Amino acid sequence: MSTDYEALMHRSEVAVSVELQTQDMTLNIGPQHPSTHGVLRLVANVDGERITGVEPAIGYMHRGYEKLAEVRTYAQMTALVNRIDWVSGFASEVPFIVGVEKLTGIEPPPRAQWIRLILTELFRISSHIVFTSSYPLELGGVTPLFHALRERERVLEIIEAMTGGRFHPNFNRVGGIKPAAGGGKTQKQVSMDIPEGWLEDVKAAMERVLQATDDSDTLVTGNELIKQRTVGVGCIPADKAIEYGLSGPNLRASGVAYDLRKHEFHLPYDQVEFDVISGQDGDCYDRYWVRLQEIRESVKIVLQAIDKIPAGPLRAKAPRVLKVPKGQVYVRGENPKGEFGYYIISEGGQKPYRLKIRSTSFSNLSILPWVLKGALVPDLVAIMGSLDFVLGDVDR
Amino acid sequence: MNDQPDATTALDVYGTGLAERLGGRAVVEHDTVRIYIDRSDWVETLRRARDEEGLAFFSWLAGIDWSKDVEVGDTVEDLDDLEERFEVMCRLSSIENADGAQFIAELPKDDPVIDSITSLFGGAEWHEREAHDMFGIEFAGNPNLTPIYLPEGFIGHPLLKSYPLLAREVKPWPGAVDVEDMPEEES
Repeated sequence: MSTDYEALMHRSEVAVSVELQTQDMTLNIGPQHPSTHGVLRLVANVDGERITGVEPAIGYMHRGYEKLAEVRTYAQMTALVNRIDWVSGFASEVPFIVGVEKLTGIEPPPRAQWIRLILTELFRISSHIVFTSSYPLELGGVTPLFHALRERERVLEIIEAMTGGRFHPNFNRVGGIKPAAGGGKTQKQVSMDIPEGWLEDVKAAMERVLQATDDSDTLVTGNELIKQRTVGVGCIPADKAIEYGLSGPNLRASGVAYDLRKHEFHLPYDQVEFDVISGQDGDCYDRYWVRLQEIRESVKIVLQAIDKIPAGPLRAKAPRVLKVPKGQVYVRGENPKGEFGYYIISEGGQKPYRLKIRSTSFSNLSILPWVLKGALVPDLVAIMGSLDFVLGDVDR
Repeated sequence: MNDQPDATTALDVYGTGLAERLGGRAVVEHDTVRIYIDRSDWVETLRRARDEEGLAFFSWLAGIDWSKDVEVGDTVEDLDDLEERFEVMCRLSSIENADGAQFIAELPKDDPVIDSITSLFGGAEWHEREAHDMFGIEFAGNPNLTPIYLPEGFIGHPLLKSYPLLAREVKPWPGAVDVEDMPEEES
């Protein structure tokens, strides 16, 4: 009798599941949505709460920088390239200008290189603070944002004191850096160097930054709610991360200790000591944790750099009308978000023949369809936010 | 070491060695290794670079338009010698050390087709779609070669040298008349 009963049960179960055979629903997210960091549109197929496939639709912010580069001189391009990833503008200027310097053979003086290093790290701190504070916001925690942005403001202030801009410094020149903030006709006699007392201000700001990371530690890192939303969510194994070209903290969270600051020395990173932070599981929590620890490493680098910065000129002699000889060069640097590179093809003349911009977020985002497949809809924002992308960097 | 300046750097050695092992022609300049390979070897060479040379990190892929018909920007220096062609360039790096190289294949203008490397690197899909958008290069085997940046129904390939920059046609670039002196060049 029992077999009849089982057969009956089986039939009824089949009947129910056939009856409940539901169609996948298409869910459109964005392009205007607070969690998409700009204008990203996701077309998701969902089966109940389960995502069966995602197609990101990008390009809403495509500004055609690679085409614009072909009609602009090298000097004019620095104003554009720091707008690619606006959270870390200075860091994306440096590889471009180093590429031009390699092509022309102009060597920037050591003091300029150290200032570039300090500013790059300050932008890294700023970018990581934006992430570590806005990521809890995406998970539903509002407080960390206000705590952290207050300290980030200190960082932006010292950046502004140096470069005159908070987000778009446009501070690099071929052969060094711009003399100083507002170094125009009237000020050039008094401000041919970095502002007086700036290095002390940086030190003070670093104290505040360390405090902010400690705050984040107590507010966020050990928080049970944050952990439940992020631990084990959106795991990216190391081999997938490498295959998709993920770089920066996203790659290191997967346990690959790969940091271009340890390999590319166009900035004097070989003369400072710091650790490459890497995670283990490659989940959302690791990606958060790696960035938070990297703030501390960046503070370490900045403090060492302040002690090591040599005196000297800020700029090597460079011709006013810059004719760049024929050649091809690829320069990459460790942007806060990962590998940021420029492939410059010069055919002689004042403009590049072709400029290929290797923007970080474009590659970082390309893993989204893979990592979201099979995830739950409530985890979508948690996973997407943990990749820390900027749409300007995706679309260029 | 002798007193004579030695022009051969470690990178030159690495570049030529890489080209010899993988089959290709190496050009090393400005700390950048370029390996020119045949388009029929494209996938196989990149697979061997990944598996045998440790260049496992897919960095980027892009196209280049070498053209005599230049609507925008400067032309190349020796226009007469220019061979009209596309180039497809793929950057692979090591994740252990600073090694890395640009792999370049040339495509004729009338047949811009190359095999897709999405079977090797999942991340290449988007980059190939971008090159398809911008240059019209076909990647045989890419599962989803649809526009990524361009809106539906967009006509043309914007990064072709023959594609005009409309904003520039309407109004000349004001930067062209910018003659302000650099601060240190006064007096």
